[in-house]
Amino acid sequence: MAIETDLDLMLRVRDGDAASFEVLLRRYRLPLVGYFRRMVRDQGLAEDLAQEVFLRVYKSRERYQPDARFTTWLYRIATNLALNAIRDRRDEVSGSAGDDDEGGAILERFIDSQPTVEQQLVRRDRERLIRQAVEGLPENQRAAVILHKYQEVDYRQIAVILSVSESAVKSLLFRAYEALRLRLEPLLREGVI
Amino acid sequence: MKCLETESLISYAYRLMDEPAASEVRVHLGECPRCRGIVEQYGRLDAVLGEWKTAEPTAAFDGRVRQAVEAQQAGRAARWGWGWSWARGLALASLGILMIAGGVWLAQGRRRVTNLSQVAVRQPRPTVSAQNPVPMAGLRSPGIKPHADVRPSEATAETQSASSSLNEDKDAQALEDYDLAANFELLSEIPKGERRVVN
Repeated sequence: MAIETDLDLMLRVRDGDAASFEVLLRRYRLPLVGYFRRMVRDQGLAEDLAQEVFLRVYKSRERYQPDARFTTWLYRIATNLALNAIRDRRDEVSGSAGDDDEGGAILERFIDSQPTVEQQLVRRDRERLIRQAVEGLPENQRAAVILHKYQEVDYRQIAVILSVSESAVKSLLFRAYEALRLRLEPLLREGVI
Repeated sequence: MKCLETESLISYAYRLMDEPAASEVRVHLGECPRCRGIVEQYGRLDAVLGEWKTAEPTAAFDGRVRQAVEAQQAGRAARWGWGWSWARGLALASLGILMIAGGVWLAQGRRRVTNLSQVAVRQPRPTVSAQNPVPMAGLRSPGIKPHADVRPSEATAETQSASSSLNEDKDAQALEDYDLAANFELLSEIPKGERRVVN
């Protein structure tokens, strides 16, 4: 059975097919929550925002026009929500110990073998450095890098999502990757674990 | 050999350039160990960034999304219901106003007809006769004076009576128009020789 495209599914959702919305939910729940998790760090807020994206998609189903990729539309909504959430939380204290612990607990689920306590600590520490390096980027650079690296969105799509030109996206990515290379130089020397 | 710009190397490492340009960079990398080293460093950066994993959504996530969608549907249905009841109320109110306005209009029209018929009763259509050759003797018509056969005192009294009745009527102008129109034909039938003016 052929995999239904996002476009087909969304057109059916527009016609009132609830089952197609379920397929889209299952297909994009992990990428969206992951995207928000990286953008706003907080898992609870990430799920709230992802839920809001699905709700907005559903609300605007009748106005959906298939003139752009579904993912472009989806991440455009998501990015707007994420940037608003970041601005709302700007004054809040950054880097709480609780978040670090949560991040570490999450990371442990992806460790294949039975790592030693020391290995777990190293992994946790490296992940914290990476996260801090990405979070230290300006908002637009952060969104561009997360969309490009983690969500695997093409830079042309990113231009539409961020409402900037393609050359502006390239410029954002050049600066962001260069900044990350400098910040993460110790990890680059050590190599990937 | 001149090294490439860092931007070109990043573009190559992160697939931000199209194939013709990428081919040129590839050729250069084969000859330039420094540029090759930079590209490898960005490759390692890509791998290091990949170490940042995120969690799956919690088990309750899907249920919460479904609930939110259902709540949205229910809210929308309620809004539609309210909208329809609101529209029904407006339609009924409009109909009521129209009916009242129509009733008032009909009542006013009937009263006007009644007034006119009362005038007609008070002022029976005059007939030409030997005693009263001028049919308009008792009516208030500008420029027309009673016939000499009618005694001035009687004519005056009759005229005053008619005038007082008319003065009571609010729609005097309309009645004047009515009188003229109703009697114009009869007036035009009076023979010239019989038309006498009483001073």
